[in-house]
Amino acid sequence: MPALEELLEFLPGTDCGQCGGNCREFAEFLLKRELAPGDCPVLHEPDFAGFIEALQELLGPAPAAAPGMSIDPEKCNGCGICVTMCEYHLGNCAEARLGRGPRPGDQVVFKVVNGQVVVLRQELCTRMIQAAEKCNKCGDHCPTGAITLT
Amino acid sequence: MEQQSLICTGCGCLCDDLDVTLSQGQLQEVANVCLWGLSRFFPNKRLHPKKERHRLLEPLWRQNGRLQKVSYTKALEQAAAILGTSRRPLIYGLTNTGSWAQEAALQLARKIKARLEPADLAFKAPYYHSLRKHGLYWAPLEVIRDEADTVLFWGANPLHSCPRHLVRYSVFARGRYTERGVEERQVAAVDLYQTEMAKFCHLLVQIEPGQELALLQGVGEHLPGGSGAKPPVKGARKLAKLLSQAQFGVIFFGRGATYNQGFGVLDALGGLAARLGKKQTWALFPLSGDFNSQGLYHLLLNELGVPEAPDFGHEDGVLTSSMPVDFHEFDAILVLGADLFWFLPEDQALAWQQRQVPVVSLSPFANRTTSCAQVVLPTALAGLEAAEVAYRMDGLPLVLKKLLPTALPADRDILLDLIQAV
Repeated sequence: MPALEELLEFLPGTDCGQCGGNCREFAEFLLKRELAPGDCPVLHEPDFAGFIEALQELLGPAPAAAPGMSIDPEKCNGCGICVTMCEYHLGNCAEARLGRGPRPGDQVVFKVVNGQVVVLRQELCTRMIQAAEKCNKCGDHCPTGAITLT
Repeated sequence: MEQQSLICTGCGCLCDDLDVTLSQGQLQEVANVCLWGLSRFFPNKRLHPKKERHRLLEPLWRQNGRLQKVSYTKALEQAAAILGTSRRPLIYGLTNTGSWAQEAALQLARKIKARLEPADLAFKAPYYHSLRKHGLYWAPLEVIRDEADTVLFWGANPLHSCPRHLVRYSVFARGRYTERGVEERQVAAVDLYQTEMAKFCHLLVQIEPGQELALLQGVGEHLPGGSGAKPPVKGARKLAKLLSQAQFGVIFFGRGATYNQGFGVLDALGGLAARLGKKQTWALFPLSGDFNSQGLYHLLLNELGVPEAPDFGHEDGVLTSSMPVDFHEFDAILVLGADLFWFLPEDQALAWQQRQVPVVSLSPFANRTTSCAQVVLPTALAGLEAAEVAYRMDGLPLVLKKLLPTALPADRDILLDLIQAV
């Protein structure tokens, strides 16, 4: 876990407020993994090229365990509502957005396999890369209550 | 490992986005299939993946009260003898078979002068009566996905009959003019029970058995131009308000709509759709749990001009009936594409066995009907082990391909052999 000061070295230090706070607060959100380096608009300017990557390297990969999703195989009937409602799929998987199943090569959080939802890449889940409270769509819309988000 | 795409024959949705993984000619994995459809690919019970179903691999013939293995030729001879010597044969089921097999079954019915009874006649006949009387609008499921902003489920729980219908076409799918999916649609349900549909329905009207017509009457009185009298059933006013605000609406009905007073309820539902349809677009749709029910009625309409059960055993010519069959009339029965004894009430099934009416059953899996049958002929699975054609619930014909090799004959081949043998 990097120190707050280490992260601040790679932030603009302008306290512009575009992220909703100052740079120190942004760094605190980064440490809590409630925001990602790419959420700072200023870091996308050419003057700060490479800073996002440096921050990502400092932070390291997101832990796989939290915040997690568990699927009760006794309750899941593979209707695929969660796959279509997923906030990540909405912007990144055209097939799921239209209600169809993802194609074999698609990068998706989960898909239905053999009649049950299977988590494939949890790190893509909106809850993992942004604030957890921002998205509960899969669990909220599951008609059988098979998905539990922690 | 080899990957192929496939059409699911689990229900009337005929989902065309399945990806199957094959290894050494064996099915390893099916992606994008619901638990209902999975039972078409693996030998497990519908919605119960841990409960196995016995796959039939050899023809069986009942001797001294027990089913014994026989050769295909011997079983075919026995089946032909039963059907050929019968004075009043019945061919029952067909809603879970491909269209080619249905055509062959109709040929056989003509030859042996049988009645051909679709397994879901009590469900579909009232619908076609209503359609003919009210002249309702019809739309492909893709148009419903793209444009429908109000959806009403009447006596239907798609999560138990066609689970992916909600996500692919009616509620959650995002279409051209419904880009926010469920957030942009008004969804209502009418049912006798509080079901899982309550999780996402904006309005769930729970009624008592027998209140269907009163509810429909109450809804009619609260639509624009109605008397506005106090509705006899709670929820009618809210439902009328929701329906009257639609630009493009669909009423999907399930078997619950026809369990009692089927013709009356469907007539009233058709009348409601027609009245709403004068100002906006409204469609009335059956939710078929069987994968090729639509294909059978398409065939009957093409061949006979009416979507009813034809009876070729009358001297006056072909009679058709929209009323479910009285099983007491028949002295031999051929069942395929359905499990007759599962749906028969206990007393009727018992009476059937006491009369010792011989049953010939064509089925890929063991079921209640095969356990009571005189002759059992195992078949290949349509859409996996045999090529076929099936009609989606909105009437779209789709070609089902053969993926896996099998030594078992397809339903159609057995029926053609039977036509030759009787």
